[in-house]
Amino acid sequence: MSWLPKLFERRKDELDEEIRAHIAMDVANRMERGELQERAEAEAMREFGNVALVRDVTHGVWRWRRLERLAANLRYAVRGLRRSPGFSITVIATLAVGVGAACAMFTVVDRVLLRPVPFGDADRLVEIGETPKGKSAFYPSPFLDIHRWQDRSPKLREIAFFGSNNSRVWFLGGNGDAMHVSSASVSANLFPTLGVHPVLGRGFVVGDSGGSVAPTDAHSILLSDAAWRTRYGADEAIVGKTVELNGERDTVIGVMPRGFTFPYEGMNSTGLPIVWQPIVLTPADALRGHHQAPTYQCLARLQASAELASAEAELNAIQPTIAETYTDPRDRENAALVNLRRYADTALQGNVRMTLVALLAASGLLWLIACLNVTSLMLARATARQREIAVRRALGAGRWEIVKQLLMEGVLLSGCASLVGLVLVIGLLRLFQHGLETQFNLHESFTPNVAVVGALLSLTVASTLLTSVWPAWGGTRASIEPALRQGAPQQGMGRAQHRVRTVLVVTQIALSFTLLVGCGLLLRTIYALRHVQLGFRTEHIVVANMTIPSYKYAGRDMTTTLYQPLVDRAKHLPGVESAALLTEVPLGKTFQMIFSFDVSGDSSSAIRRGAMRAQFRAVGPEMQKVFGFRMLHGRFFNEGDTASSQAVVVVNRAFVKEYYGDDRAPGKILGQSLFSLEKGRPAVVIGVLADERQVNVAEPSQPEMEVCLPQVTPVSMFYNFAEGRAMDVAVRTDRSPATMIPELRDILRTASPDLASSSFSTMDQIVEDSFGSQNLAAELLEIFGCSALLLCLTGIYGLLVYLVAQRQREMGLRIALGAQQWNVMSLILRQAVWMVAAGLGVGLGVAYLATAALRTLLYGVKANDPWSMSAAVLVILLGGLVAALVPARRAARVDPMEALRAD
Amino acid sequence: MVMEPEGHRNRMELLQGTLDMLIPRTLKWGTAHGYGIVQALRRQSGEALQVETGSLYPALQRLERRGCVRSGSNSESNQRARYYRITAVGKSQLADVGRWEQMVEVMSAILKTEDGGET
Repeated sequence: MSWLPKLFERRKDELDEEIRAHIAMDVANRMERGELQERAEAEAMREFGNVALVRDVTHGVWRWRRLERLAANLRYAVRGLRRSPGFSITVIATLAVGVGAACAMFTVVDRVLLRPVPFGDADRLVEIGETPKGKSAFYPSPFLDIHRWQDRSPKLREIAFFGSNNSRVWFLGGNGDAMHVSSASVSANLFPTLGVHPVLGRGFVVGDSGGSVAPTDAHSILLSDAAWRTRYGADEAIVGKTVELNGERDTVIGVMPRGFTFPYEGMNSTGLPIVWQPIVLTPADALRGHHQAPTYQCLARLQASAELASAEAELNAIQPTIAETYTDPRDRENAALVNLRRYADTALQGNVRMTLVALLAASGLLWLIACLNVTSLMLARATARQREIAVRRALGAGRWEIVKQLLMEGVLLSGCASLVGLVLVIGLLRLFQHGLETQFNLHESFTPNVAVVGALLSLTVASTLLTSVWPAWGGTRASIEPALRQGAPQQGMGRAQHRVRTVLVVTQIALSFTLLVGCGLLLRTIYALRHVQLGFRTEHIVVANMTIPSYKYAGRDMTTTLYQPLVDRAKHLPGVESAALLTEVPLGKTFQMIFSFDVSGDSSSAIRRGAMRAQFRAVGPEMQKVFGFRMLHGRFFNEGDTASSQAVVVVNRAFVKEYYGDDRAPGKILGQSLFSLEKGRPAVVIGVLADERQVNVAEPSQPEMEVCLPQVTPVSMFYNFAEGRAMDVAVRTDRSPATMIPELRDILRTASPDLASSSFSTMDQIVEDSFGSQNLAAELLEIFGCSALLLCLTGIYGLLVYLVAQRQREMGLRIALGAQQWNVMSLILRQAVWMVAAGLGVGLGVAYLATAALRTLLYGVKANDPWSMSAAVLVILLGGLVAALVPARRAARVDPMEALRAD
Repeated sequence: MVMEPEGHRNRMELLQGTLDMLIPRTLKWGTAHGYGIVQALRRQSGEALQVETGSLYPALQRLERRGCVRSGSNSESNQRARYYRITAVGKSQLADVGRWEQMVEVMSAILKTEDGGET
């Protein structure tokens, strides 16, 4: 900024010098001709003319004259604002809060809603799944089905498929310094279908049939940009080299573009770098049916002309012939229909969209309130400067010149506010980092991208327009003469302006009320969620979610070689009451296993139990000690349940209710055999758990089965499903998590170096996270609501203070004529009550409409909850009263002598 | 501004834009500074033209912006002075006298018809 004026100065100096030289030459010339020096100088000056005028006119020719004027305006604005620091700081702080909140929310919305799946033309991507009639399931399909669809679906351009791999965590690189990555298997046509291609090397070669990968590429892998950078230091020579993935040797054939992840959503969105493995067809892919052929998730691109519904209809027309080919009746039923959904929609789970839209709207309201507040301040300032403006206009400044000047002030203020707001954005996002990570899977830190910067700029411009244009235009409208003549500067346009400012304050009250009601509703929701009976204890439990190097334990029983010794050591740590192993803690959201199976025998209720689906968990016998849940019937696992004893299983009450009917006493299930743990080893039910919340606090208990971990040996099919993939250690301790976690981590590290990067948490935190987006929404709304309240109260306060100052003489007169203090105070308070009442009246209407949109977010409370409304009314009434009291007392204390004598 | 000094009465007032054509012509023979240009024009016009400095310096700035002249500074008798020099662009425009003659014709035609209208 500073070089600009300097440039002008230099140019001006040059011109001055030139003029001086001109005159000096003239003088010298005249003296040569014999004139006296004095006369020569006078003559030269006379002939040259008006030096200042010449200088100004010459300036006018310069190209950057405009820029210079702009800079002058800016300089003037800076000076003006520096002269009233209180005003400037108030305005900047107010606007910064509004802009910061709105911009922070936009950043999140931009990441989560506007770019949910970062693939080209993501709207045309659809996912295909199979479902039984009457349900809306999304079962993955065997290759044979996919192949038939590929042949017979002209409305779909390409059908690609992918599978999630067994392990959640893979180990890339050699022994010791292996890096943790996640992995997915993909067909060769998948990335082309997404429209993404490797930036380095090549993609998988398409094989003979159905877009699968050619067998020549069976041991090839593709790296994500993050894996390439962190593990191999962005070494381009890595392509073609052989690396180790979970102990197997694979060739790196390419690197995908930066920021590309796939599959995009999913429970195991760990934020880890990714390695993609090829799907090469095996003889098993030529089979159909459960447990025989591997199944895949399908992703297709709609033809430009096709619609989702018509493509679905097209596939469903051929699906019966496909379903017929299933030999197993259950499989046939499960593949009866085809289900299509937009891939972009699957990335958004539950009510995330709703939450974000609500929060964005809330931040928008806050911004609006801030702007209205500032507009009011600007109006007051314009009035206060009436004289100054009148003087400048009387001296010949054009109206437009002055408007420009005032607008420049507005631009400067909003600009500063946006800069401060940017700091707030970063702070706010950092403050809620944990919530953003768990709710929206936002793992990267905040980096302003083009969209966000654009949003910030447009917010700045919008703030300027909203806050400055009207005051600037209105401030220069008044005629010059009365403003110049009048002693008291404000009296001229008092009434109309006062009305405008009242409307602004009333609007602020109404909007703040709406925010407060929303905040109240969510606080009640959180309260209700916190008081849900979870069915187990949550306090004093530290949880380690392990990253398991299962490939190193191939052929060995991980329970006895890895897990059990580890837990035994944890148990002996000082201050530890008990420690337990389990595939996933309740509400953990890290690894959900659903087990479906068919029951043979017991024909009477075979239909109801045709296909049982239950949450499945393998747990250690100590789990009851750690979580302290209740058994309704029978017993939980104990030390006596070992690999050699009778196989046992525990179910919960919801399981009994769902599959054995409510009427039957839950205890009767005891002793029944549900399935075999391994061949010839039927597991009998030994206990019924009281209901608990496993997946989501707000969701009722779901059918669940638990097996005893020591009984699950590598020969059991459950071993492969569960043990290598996920295992949590839960420790009950009196000590604080801060001291407990490092010791636990040490134990894990000594057991296996790879376990050191396991993630730790407390059960309380896990429960908190499982509240879903409501928690985050409530916290953010608390901040927004409080800010809004504060702004609107300062709005009331500011207007009343101004009013009192304006009516000082009137007050003095009243007091002089015998009005009591209380009379004068009530005059001001009445004004405040009017504004608050009007604001609440409008606010009730707005809130009634706005909160209806919140309905899906609420739990245990209705949208038009009278308690939340009343609380908000009370808060605003009390706040308004406090805000009005100070100006009212000031009015009452006006000294009549002074007020009447003044001016 | 209000009162024209006596000495200026008999001199011709320059029409807007004519300076832009006259200045390059005086610079054709070499460099000059502002004062030199004023003197040269006065001499060449037989004392009839008194160039106002308020027109001269803006015109010089305009010409410089258009690239017809270039300015530099030199030290001449311990007084730093800015001098002007004609550029190739300026020279090429000098050659284009036709435009000026055309304008003179048009103007004199207009002035004559107005005279005729009065008589």
